[in-house]
Amino acid sequence: MTRTHLISAVLTAALAAGCATKKGFEKPGFAFGCPIGETKVGSMEDLVRAKTLSEGRRTTIQATEMRCSQTGDLLRIDANLNNDSRSVKRIAYKFRWIDREGMRAWEEESWKPLMIYESSNLVINTISPTNKAVDFRLILRSEE
Amino acid sequence: MKPTLFIALAAAALVLGCAKEQTRYGDARAVETMTNQFGSTDLQLMAESMARSMLQAPVIAAANLPVVTVQEVRNKTSEYIDTRAITDSIRAELQKGGRVRFAVDQAGMNPQVEELKRQQGGLYAKETAAEMGQMVGAQYRLEGNIISIVKQVKDAKDVYYKLNLQLWNIRNGLLEWSDEKEIRKTTTKG
Repeated sequence: MTRTHLISAVLTAALAAGCATKKGFEKPGFAFGCPIGETKVGSMEDLVRAKTLSEGRRTTIQATEMRCSQTGDLLRIDANLNNDSRSVKRIAYKFRWIDREGMRAWEEESWKPLMIYESSNLVINTISPTNKAVDFRLILRSEE
Repeated sequence: MKPTLFIALAAAALVLGCAKEQTRYGDARAVETMTNQFGSTDLQLMAESMARSMLQAPVIAAANLPVVTVQEVRNKTSEYIDTRAITDSIRAELQKGGRVRFAVDQAGMNPQVEELKRQQGGLYAKETAAEMGQMVGAQYRLEGNIISIVKQVKDAKDVYYKLNLQLWNIRNGLLEWSDEKEIRKTTTKG
């Protein structure tokens, strides 16, 4: 191998490694540690939109951030809820757990009541109940 | 005026009498706020929160199906709470998740021994009868307390519940995991 070839090979490898470090620090199919499957997620807003559902009475409380991590073979989730109104809000939330086949990995959770002070954030967190749960949805409803 | 009053009362009685009683199924997992006494939502919140927390305890997460026995959750509140229902729900969630095995507890010991004795009583084929002395001893015991603080003024009542659970290592007496779940409910009139 000539010297020019060697330099260009090293440069290509460095470029590839550099790109990998910048873009691919997460496993494919994950965003902010959360499983996303085939869904296109380019930002935190996309992730929150993909993972949050509203059932029953709609609430003005918004999930603004979501991060996941693997604890052993279980999925740990942190979700930030924001109340940007000038009054205390009461909501209920639950997580829905989904398995590899897209079916329910766990029975429906109970609704958990929550009070969020005006102009404030609250982080809720949970862990998947079983290692069969590979995906989730956060479901919110108003309790006012 | 008297006949008018009589007719009005008769009409009211008729309407009330005809008011149909209606029974409907509801969502067993909905937020229940009928009163501020310990209710189904409190039971579900405590059980779920504790079971999920216990899943993260190193002795549960790392061990290969540890064997746990459930002991008493002492009710130190001023109201009647079936604490067995809390530990039963925690046990069901953990067992379903396949992380923990449960050994027969004190409450279940009598029926267990009775059944063993019955099978050893000469009525069953030897090869199918459960042998004596094969029960598995638990490595950990789960116990705890539930307390409440109640404050009441003329138009408001505030109830605070705290459930504390502990997982003790039976062999060495070490506390391997402990967690708390707090709930506050306030009822106001008017």
